[in-house]
Formats: sequence, structure tokens, C-alpha cells
Amino acid sequence: MPRIGVFICHCGVNIAQNVNVEEVKRYAERLKDVVVSRDYKYLCSNTGCGIIKEAIKEYKLDGVVVAACSPRMHEHTFQRVAEESGLNKYKVEVANIREQCSWVHSSRDEATSKAKTLVRMAVAKARLAEDLKPARIKITREALVIGGGVAGIQSALDLANEGFKVHLVEREPSIGGRMAQLDKTFPTLDCASCILTPKMMEAANHPNIDLLVYSEVESVKGSVGDYTVRVKKKPRYVDPGKCTGCGDCASACRLKNKVKNEFDLGLGRRGAVYVPFPQAVPLKYVIDDKTCLYLTKGRCGDEPLCMKACKQGAIDFKQKEEIVDLRVGVIIVATGYDLIDKVGLYELGYGRSPDVITTLEFERLINSSGPTRGEVLRPSNNEKPGSITFILCAGSRDKRLCEWCCRVGCMTALKQVYLIREKLGDTVEVNVCYTDIRSYGKGYEEFYRRIRGVDNVNMFRGRPSEVRVKPDGLIVNVFDTLSDKLFEIKTDLVVLVPAIVPSTGTLDAARTLRLSRSNDGFLMEAHPKLRPMDSFLSGVFIAGCCQGPKDIQDTVAHASGAASRAAWILSSDTLEALPYTAVVNEDLCSGCKTCLLVCPYQAIETVMKDNKLRARVNSTLCQGCGCCVVACPAKAIYQLGFKDEQIKPMITGLKEE
Amino acid sequence: MTVTDLTSMASPQITLKRELDERLLRIKVEALEYCYQCGKCTSGCEAHRLLELEPHRVALLLSRGLFDELINSDIIWTCMSCFKCRERCPQMVAPVELLYALKNIAVAKGKQIPGRYTPMLQSIISTGLIQGEQQVLTRKQQTVKREDLGLPSLQKPRDISRFQSAIMQIATDKI
Amino acid sequence: MSKRYALYPGCLASTEQYAYELSVREVSSFFNIELVNLDDFSCCGEPIKSINQLLTLYLSARNISIAEKSNLDVYAPCAMCHLALSEAAFILDSDNDLRCRVNKVLSSEGLEYHYKHKSRILHTVDVLYDDIGLEKLKNSVRKPLTGLKVAAHYGCHLIRPSEIGRPDNPENPSKIESIIQVTGAEPVYYPERLDCCGAPLLPTRQESALTKTGEKLQALHEGAVDVLVDVCPWCHKMFDEQQVKAKETVAGGFNIPVLYLTQLVGLALGLKHDRLGLDLNQSPVEKVISKVK
Repeated sequence: MPRIGVFICHCGVNIAQNVNVEEVKRYAERLKDVVVSRDYKYLCSNTGCGIIKEAIKEYKLDGVVVAACSPRMHEHTFQRVAEESGLNKYKVEVANIREQCSWVHSSRDEATSKAKTLVRMAVAKARLAEDLKPARIKITREALVIGGGVAGIQSALDLANEGFKVHLVEREPSIGGRMAQLDKTFPTLDCASCILTPKMMEAANHPNIDLLVYSEVESVKGSVGDYTVRVKKKPRYVDPGKCTGCGDCASACRLKNKVKNEFDLGLGRRGAVYVPFPQAVPLKYVIDDKTCLYLTKGRCGDEPLCMKACKQGAIDFKQKEEIVDLRVGVIIVATGYDLIDKVGLYELGYGRSPDVITTLEFERLINSSGPTRGEVLRPSNNEKPGSITFILCAGSRDKRLCEWCCRVGCMTALKQVYLIREKLGDTVEVNVCYTDIRSYGKGYEEFYRRIRGVDNVNMFRGRPSEVRVKPDGLIVNVFDTLSDKLFEIKTDLVVLVPAIVPSTGTLDAARTLRLSRSNDGFLMEAHPKLRPMDSFLSGVFIAGCCQGPKDIQDTVAHASGAASRAAWILSSDTLEALPYTAVVNEDLCSGCKTCLLVCPYQAIETVMKDNKLRARVNSTLCQGCGCCVVACPAKAIYQLGFKDEQIKPMITGLKEE
Repeated sequence: MTVTDLTSMASPQITLKRELDERLLRIKVEALEYCYQCGKCTSGCEAHRLLELEPHRVALLLSRGLFDELINSDIIWTCMSCFKCRERCPQMVAPVELLYALKNIAVAKGKQIPGRYTPMLQSIISTGLIQGEQQVLTRKQQTVKREDLGLPSLQKPRDISRFQSAIMQIATDKI
Repeated sequence: MSKRYALYPGCLASTEQYAYELSVREVSSFFNIELVNLDDFSCCGEPIKSINQLLTLYLSARNISIAEKSNLDVYAPCAMCHLALSEAAFILDSDNDLRCRVNKVLSSEGLEYHYKHKSRILHTVDVLYDDIGLEKLKNSVRKPLTGLKVAAHYGCHLIRPSEIGRPDNPENPSKIESIIQVTGAEPVYYPERLDCCGAPLLPTRQESALTKTGEKLQALHEGAVDVLVDVCPWCHKMFDEQQVKAKETVAGGFNIPVLYLTQLVGLALGLKHDRLGLDLNQSPVEKVISKVK
């Protein structure tokens, strides 16, 4: 026989003003299985809690109903009270007679009657409440960070500094990502490498960070607190233990300056043995197995020149790929972004003329450590451009291509205008065709004003329809909506500010980890406002541009946020799983896998039992949403704490009077 | 109505706007409110350089409900139907279709039809084609027609009166 | 493998631009394609779309229904007609109410437009590139047009608006150049490739129409091109018949032969010049003919 106590809160006048608490208390007393009914002004206070505690002891209660404010406010408070009194905390049922009753009705009679109904329903559920013992997950106190750009580096450093071991996996031979490709950053015009390299060095030298470059995550199994990750280390054919980064091999390489350099987006050249850029971290050479003569054809002249040149004997063509298995408790995905594919920019000349380039390519050209040592020359004839025209929103804010705004385009263009004036002198004419200038951040509007003050810069508010490629130059027609005039711009170099899309690494991570993606293709956050670094999978966090395009300061903030969220899990020994998980009655399950398909958290797997396929819920992954319960055609799944037998009396309880 | 354009003293024409919205919906063209005036259509408009047509301005005036200014002007008849605006608009608004609608509305309101549309229309009604069989000059200075070139007879509606009553029926309806 | 299409030449080709119909018939017969005359077709309505778009929809739907009634695909060599028919199908397929209203009137003529019409709507580019195919074209060439520099004019209606489905890519069309290539000639790319011919302005602004034509021809002249090919009687009318007037309008210095694509292909196939309508072209086509040996 259940022994239930009902406690009704006045909540000052919030409830008492519209609900006759005294009447509800007397009503509750008379309900079946209710042995005590109390009321108090503020049940959440120490005194209020004390009343509940005493009643539990005195009346030997095994179920508690609190009629008060929303459970989102104080359910945990009353659950703690129950626990401290030796009662299982899931035996507490909260009836919301404030937000859902007192605050939304003006008639005292109606509100009081409704409060009685709500209490009656809560008691009906409390009668059937069960002791629930949520599982405890043992946490492996190590983290995996996928992606070694500024986001990944920041997250890794934050976690490492908190004392956790971090495995940082990067698919390129060096960490640094996109930020390493930039020249200066807006709005302060800091040199990107100068501020990034110290962080890169810190990450490489940190005792808690295990740097795995030129590696990829192959598979991830398990759940929060206990992931098994398989990492494939690609063979670099150079022994990192012996390589000193001296560069003798690269100077000797037979293919020196013949292979397009990825870091310079094809504008620069390297050999088959290379480091991506001079400030690479780690500064160890790598041999590209797609171009190296020895690796592709089996021989390189009489003998590989790199081997001959290397005084440390670090070249090792026998190197094989290595598999590393890691156990980690949390994963942070920081896989970054790419630029829109050139097919989308065809009418703007990209791909038709070598003199139409993207902002990222321009950044490599104007960078003094770039492929042209900071000289900006027209790719078509290697001459200095007399006129450079920027076209913003190339592919962005476009329903046919990328519907979203790239966020950083306007500031990037303005910054590059500044760099042109600073490095190429006053005579280069600069034209900017924009739709809106989005200078929203700290210092951004001031920077925009600074650029408006730069000489010989024409700002056109209009979007060109096409770039015409003539033998002697490029022609851009733009209608300036502010002056209502059509301008014809004869220009030498067109720089497109391209749309930003999720990188292939992001798509790979989404597939490997089965992460949801938003409409725009970027990784989906659990809540756009309140949980921007959480993915829908507990234990997996997202940092930086893989979640959506953003500038460096937002990326760093995002990454630190993700690290902090991850640390919350890592700093406990164990984690309490949700008690309200779904459970499959394997005898009723037919193995149809409908539940598998509807589960948003991939928490259901299939097992063979008695030669038949059955579904099984992983209670550490299950978030208690109830989708599978509803979807199961055989009604073989129930949810702890919300079983049909517990819900039905609540519904019938509505009618009773 | 509390919105007035002070240069023309016109107020938004709500009914016409609703008609236009419905028409655009039926011909599967995006609603014109999505236009954010980037000007791409006008930048690439084939008719702009010679005739000063501004497709983005047409979209803007119509979103404000200001039809008369356009219907009473010649500018709407300058569209070259090249469809570049419809192809390239980042919001999939189609100024070319807005212009067709405006021209249709102008005709329906009794505005004078410019140029040579009227004879074409009359020819379609009476024969089914925009013009009759023409005599052309060859390079050898001979005049020829279809028959002389060995071409089969002209394809046109067999039952012309049935055809005429059908198009009279449809011509009085609205999209 | 003989194909049958209902030939829908449209008003301009059948009453004025006879060379197109001639060359279309000649090339089709070479490839054993039978062109059927369904003697009930009317104007597609596109030239009067500015007057009444619903009438245009009706006229186009009517023409599609006529072809469907005879179980034939429609071959519309005129790009403007092809657009009209394709667009009518697109709109009527997506709006039930409109389709019902149109069908109600069509029924008075004993016709019906069926949802997702079975008749394909084809243009010359579709027939040459897809139905006949480059391989077959190449193997049938008797007189390769080696050394001939040919520029293609796609026109606007052939490739836009792409969302309703057009025979080639709107920003980077290539099918005509591929066809030019298999004839042995050399396709020439030029910056003004996607510019309009100006024809739609003929009813209201003749001078502007001719200016557009002239500007494009001037750009071609400057690029040293041997011949311009087009695939629409309206475009051809501007570039060929009106070339002299266009030259006067823009004070240009060009004298470029202009051929229909089917005429060019016909030459490469070794077909008779008069059967291809070559004596009807007003532009200096003898310059091309002399180069074809």
C-alpha cells in the first residue's frame, strides 16, 4: 500500500493569490493512499524542505507529491530532500500549479479546481512510482580533439592545462589550419602566424598533449566517458625521431618546385618531400606518396636524392601506416571549413580566367612568406595589377548556392584593401562591390571607417552579374544602387569573397561520429542559443567553424567553451546516466529496427538472442526522448519513469471527481 | 491607408499586389519580397545599358505596392526577355516575370499597346500565326515562298472558328 | 532505328525563315528521322506573352496536346517556341487549378493537356546531341570543315531559365561547340558568348534591337571568326537578315557569314546547298562555302 505525502506551496502570493491552497490541501488529504497533506509559504526554503523531511520520517512515506512551481525550477531541490531522507529521489512527483495554473487563470474557482485536478493526477502517478537507479558511467579522463586548426589547438590547450591528457589528431602534416594561411587578422592587423605559432608550439610541447599529425580518425565506438577511437597514422616515409627539419632533402628533391603546394592553394610549388610551410609544427618533413617518383614508379633516378642528402638518415621508404587505438572520455570536433566549390562561381570568372582569385588565394599572394614573397602579380602575365576589384558575397546569401552569410567576408575584404594600400602603394586602384558591409564585432565598425578613409578606393553598393574575360583584362559591370548608376570597371585582378562551406573533414567527422548537420551542412548544435558547443551526442562537442562560419575571436571563444563543457565530464570519476531511459522487452521485440531508425541519439543497437534479432537500448547514450517507445509497432519498448501503466492513471485521473 | 509616397502621392495598391502575388505563386516564381536589392539583375540586364531598365527597382516599387508609376511608363516594355535576371538572382526573384505581369496588367487596364504587338495578336486570332506566309528574296534575287522551295504546306489551326472561340474564352480570364 | 517527331517549326520559321525548316528537314532525313506534319499547330504564344500570358500558356498547351494526341514527341527547332512549350508544361504540371481551367477550354477543341505530358519537347540541340549523338554525327561527316573557325550563338531562350529544364547549361553551355567539333571545324570561344541577339525588342524598339545585334557582331568581327552559327530563327533573323542594318546602326565593320547549326552540319554531311537553304541566307555565306571542299 503506497504511503504518499502531498505538499502544497503558496509561493508567496504567486500561487496563493489565485489558488485556494487550504482547499487543495484538504482535498488532497482525502485522496486514496495519501496519508499526510501539508502546505507552506515557500516549500523550497530550508524550513519548507524541513517540513517535507519530517513528514517523510514521521509518516514513513514512500512517495512524495509537491504541488508548486515548474519542475524546471525546484524538482532537483525536492529530489535532494527525498534522497537525504532515505527515499529514492525518483519517487518525487511535481505538480506545476504555478506556471500551468495560478499564473494563467484569473478565476479563483477555476484555478483552484484545476489545481486539485493536477494534484490528483500527480498522486495517481506517484502511486506507481518506482525506485530508479541510474547507471554510473566510468569516465576515461582523456580527450580526443579532431582537427588541429586554431579551434582544435585552443580546446586541446584548455583541457591540457586543466590536467587532462589530450590526443590532437590532424590530417595535414602540420597543425595550424586556415589561420596559418592568413597574413594579417582584422581588426587589429595582428600577423596571424605571429599570434598562432606560439600556441602551436605550446600544443606541440605540452606534456599532456599527444600530437598525431598526418593522421585521421577511422572509427569511433562506445559512448560518453568511454569511447574507443581508431586513428590511422599515414606513413610519412620520414622518421620523425631522426628528422631535424633542416630541409636538405627538399633542396635535393628531383621534383623540387614541380608539385602544386596545397598550403598555397596551388599558387606555390614544392617538391615531393616537403613541409607544408616554413613554420610548420612539427617541423618534420613528409613525402607525398602521390607524386614521389620512388613511391609511384618504384625508382627515382639511380637513387632517391633525398636519401642521399639527408645526413640523419631519416628517409624511410619502408614506413607503413600505423594504427593507434585510443580510449577517451570525450571528443571535440574542430574540423573547420572550406571555400565554395568553383563551379558555383563560374559566371564570376573563377575557373575561366586565372586573374579571378578568392580572398584566401589573395591572402597567400600578399603574405610575405607566401609563394610570391608578398608580391601581388596577375597570374595571367605576372605583371603588377593597376586595378584590383573585390566582389563580395560570391555564392553567399544565395538561395541557389549557399543561403547563409559567411560572416567574415566583409571584414576580410576590408582588411585586404588595407593590405593592398600598405604593401602595394597608392597607385593601385581598388574597387569593392558589396551588398552590405557587416562590421558587427568589437572594433569592426571603427575599422570600416578607417578603410573608408583610404585613398583611391571605390566602394560600389551593388552586385555584379558576371565578370567578362577579355584578352587584355577583366570587365566588371556593377549597378551602384546608392547612386543609381551603372559602372563599368576595367580591372586587372578580381578577388572574390567566396561562400564558406563545411570542410570535407567536417563531413567525414559527421559520418564517422554520426553527428547531425544543420540545413547549411555544418554540424548541428544542441541548442543554437544555450548550447552552441554541444552536439546531440553526449560527450561529443563541436568547436569552431565546423559548427558554422565565424571569425577567429569567436572560434577561440567557441573552442574554449567546448573544452569547458568537455572538462565538466572529465572532472568526475563517474557520470550519472539519465534514469528515464528506454528499455526493450526482448520477448516482445521482433527485430524490425523501427526504433533504431527513429532514435536521434543512435542509442539503440541490435543483438542476437535465441537466434533472433532484438533491439537493445544503450542506457548511457539514451536521452529519454521517448521516440522509440512511440514508434515501436509491437509496443515492446517502455520508458522507465514514464511507463504506460504510470501515465494511464494520470489520464483517467482527469475525469475523476 | 497610412502610407503615402510623397513624390507621386500614391498609396500602395493592395488588391493589385495580391493579384500579382497569386500570379507569381501560380507560375512558380519566388515572392518578390525576398529581394534584398543587391542589384545583380540590373548589373547584368541586357536592356539596361541601352534603355535604362532597372529590374531591381521594379521589384522594389512593386513590394511597396506602387504599380501605377510602372504601368503608366514605357520602361516596362523595354525588357529583352533574356532571363538573365531570373537565372542569377540570389533570392530567386524574377524581375522578368514581374515585368510580364505589369505589361499584362497595363493591357488589361486599357493602356495603349506599344509597337507592333497588336497586328501580331490580331493575326494569331484570325489565322493562328503571327503573320502570313512571306515572300523572301534569294541570293539570286528570286522571290520564293514555301511551295517554291519544296516545303509542305503551312501548318496552322484546321478549325479556325473553334480555335477563335477558345482563345476568346481564355483571353478574358486571369492567371 | 527510325525516329518520328511532330515537327513544330513555329511562326517565324514556317512563314519567313525557310532556310531553317529546309535544313532541319534535310539533316533529319539524312539520319532517317521522320518529321510528321500535324496540320493543326498554332503560334506558341511567346511573342505576345507581354500582352496576355494566360493566352500564351493556352496556345503552348494546345500545341503540346496536339502532339500528344498523335503520340509523338515535339521537335521545336525554334528556341523561343521551345521555351514557351517547356515553360507551359512546367507551370501547368505544378498548378492543378490552372491546368483544369486550361483543359476546360482545350476540351472545346477536343484536346487535353495531360499532367506530366508524355511527349518530349525537343530542340535541334537535343536532337543532334542526344538523339543522333556525337558519335554518329562524327562518323557521318563526308566533308570535314577543317580549318573553319566557328563561333556559336546559343541565344537566351535555349539555356535560360534553367530551373524549368533547358537543353544546355546556362553559364557554361557546350553542346553546340561539341557538335561543331565533330564536323571538323574549330569552335571559337569569345567573351560575349552569352549575350542576347536583341530580337524580343523588335516589336517596340527596333533600333535598340539592332544595336544589340550589331554590338555582338562587332565583337565577333574583332575576334576573327569565320562563321557564326545559331539555333533560333529569331536570332538568325537578327544576325543574318538584319546584319546590314545592324552594321549601320552601330557603324560597325563586320561582314560575317551566319549559318543555322543545321546548315553547318548539313555542309559537313555533304548535303546539297540548295536543299539546305543556303541561297536564302542574306549574310555572305559564299565565304564559308568556298572554304568547304
